[in-house]
Amino acid sequence: MSIQTPEKSAAPAGVWSALKELPSNVWSSVFRNPVPSTDLERASTSFTNFFLHIHPVKVNRNTLRPGYTLGLGLISLFLFFILVATGILLMFYYVPSTSQAYDRMLDLRGTVAFGIFLRNMHRWSAHGMVAMVFLHMCRVFLTGSYKKPREFNWVIGVLLLLVTLFLSFTGYLLPWDQLAFWAITVGTSIAGYAPLIGKQMQFVLLGDTTVGQEALLRFYVLHVAVLPAVLVTLVGIHFWRIRKDGGLSRPEEAPKLKAAPVVVKTRIYGLQGFVRGPFTKVGNTPEDSVFSWPNLLMAELFVFVLTVSLILVVSLMFNAPLEQPVNVMHPPNPAKAPWYFLGLQEMVSYSAFWGGIGIPGIMVALLLVVPYIDRGTQGVGRWFARERLLANTLFLTLVTLNIIFIIIGTFFRGPNWSFVSPF
Amino acid sequence: MAVAGKKEDNNLPRRRMLAWLSSVGLFGSAVLAAVSDLVFFKPRVTYSPSARFSIGKPDDFPPGTRISRDVDRVCIVREGNRVAAISTTCTHLGCIVSIADTGFSCPCHGSRYDQDGTVTGGPAPKPLPWFKVTLAPNGEIEVDKNTTIEPGTYFTV
Repeated sequence: MSIQTPEKSAAPAGVWSALKELPSNVWSSVFRNPVPSTDLERASTSFTNFFLHIHPVKVNRNTLRPGYTLGLGLISLFLFFILVATGILLMFYYVPSTSQAYDRMLDLRGTVAFGIFLRNMHRWSAHGMVAMVFLHMCRVFLTGSYKKPREFNWVIGVLLLLVTLFLSFTGYLLPWDQLAFWAITVGTSIAGYAPLIGKQMQFVLLGDTTVGQEALLRFYVLHVAVLPAVLVTLVGIHFWRIRKDGGLSRPEEAPKLKAAPVVVKTRIYGLQGFVRGPFTKVGNTPEDSVFSWPNLLMAELFVFVLTVSLILVVSLMFNAPLEQPVNVMHPPNPAKAPWYFLGLQEMVSYSAFWGGIGIPGIMVALLLVVPYIDRGTQGVGRWFARERLLANTLFLTLVTLNIIFIIIGTFFRGPNWSFVSPF
Repeated sequence: MAVAGKKEDNNLPRRRMLAWLSSVGLFGSAVLAAVSDLVFFKPRVTYSPSARFSIGKPDDFPPGTRISRDVDRVCIVREGNRVAAISTTCTHLGCIVSIADTGFSCPCHGSRYDQDGTVTGGPAPKPLPWFKVTLAPNGEIEVDKNTTIEPGTYFTV
């Protein structure tokens, strides 16, 4: 009883001080740590922040070498962010209808505030993402990073490349202009050449026997809902596996460093007992690892700003192409697919089955199984390692062939797909 | 202890059986769901125009006519009193072929066909199909794109 009296009289003062401390209390309830100044706080910042806890507390120095990763995976991710943001905004003004879609494109140019700019950003980011995901795959191959224990993450990466291509392909139809219509007509006909289920697959994909309203609606739903959901899921697994597979690949440490693992195997602390295989901290001696805050974060911020600025500049300088509205009677001559499919189209001009299904199928199958066939452990974590001369040469040959086919399809093919000289 | 042990032994196969049955049930449901998805995605009706349509009176096509009807994707050929309908959808990748001096040529990948739709060059794997032509009771020529006929088979009007 005697205690309650002082409390009651102090109540107004308590409220007053609570009000006075309100801003700092709210701040500290949201952000658990002050801006870090000690190593403990740096660790705890990465650990307790929802958006930062995707990072390990410490990363290997090799991870941060710009010359090693070239930031290609991050650039792909940030381009995807731009695509989601601009794509959602474009959805507010787009109608997936054959009678309205093209007019909506013209409206984006004429009446919608920043419409043309948003469409440019979306188009150029999409092209950029295809290129960057492809280059990222080249980086991972040429540094031997798909090797054990990262085999499955490589497989996820190949799937991500396919989803990215399919996203671009479905997005291509949406403006409903001549380029869109005929590129999709050619593309879905290629699907029709698949053995046994080809025609069925083409019919299900188009929802009809020819490209029309049903196809536009189906491609729209795939483009804005189904494929992004698949992509986000796969990206989630991709990133999670990076952590669980022991961080980014790096050259093998000198033996003396390997002898000092931080985790002692005989002692198990709760859930940590489930951690098997390479643990992120193995080999991360104090000398060769740095705190994620601020080192990794600054690197990411740098790549982000660079990517966004580049897309902004390109979108200000170049307008996304828009051709004549769809005319089912008159295909453009030559009718060309988007550039990343022109290698495919060039091969299709020799043989529809082998160019459109056979060779691409074999290529994808090779990509999927390569980590399970190439089991050598040498030359991981270095560009063009001498030990991997054969694998790298084979890979670069296939990449070069594909690029040559794309160049031929883009610049050397004229009306009726006959050979022309661009010079 | 002995009784308890015996009881467990008796229960184990039954539990395994139940677990196995449940797994089969769950897996079966998943397969059913996947198959029904496929059924869902394959449209039962399409909204495109009918594959069987009339193109007009025979007099609209005087002898010697070769007209490409791009909307219907057929080329109507009349020689003397014989009429035929040849597909203008390229057998390669589905572009619309255009009429050339030598027959048909495709603008997409350069496939070439002769007057009868036989492949003479380019990547096309098959000749252009010919469609069944009949005379409807109202005297109009009717083309049935669901039925292909032997190339070179004309309908006499």
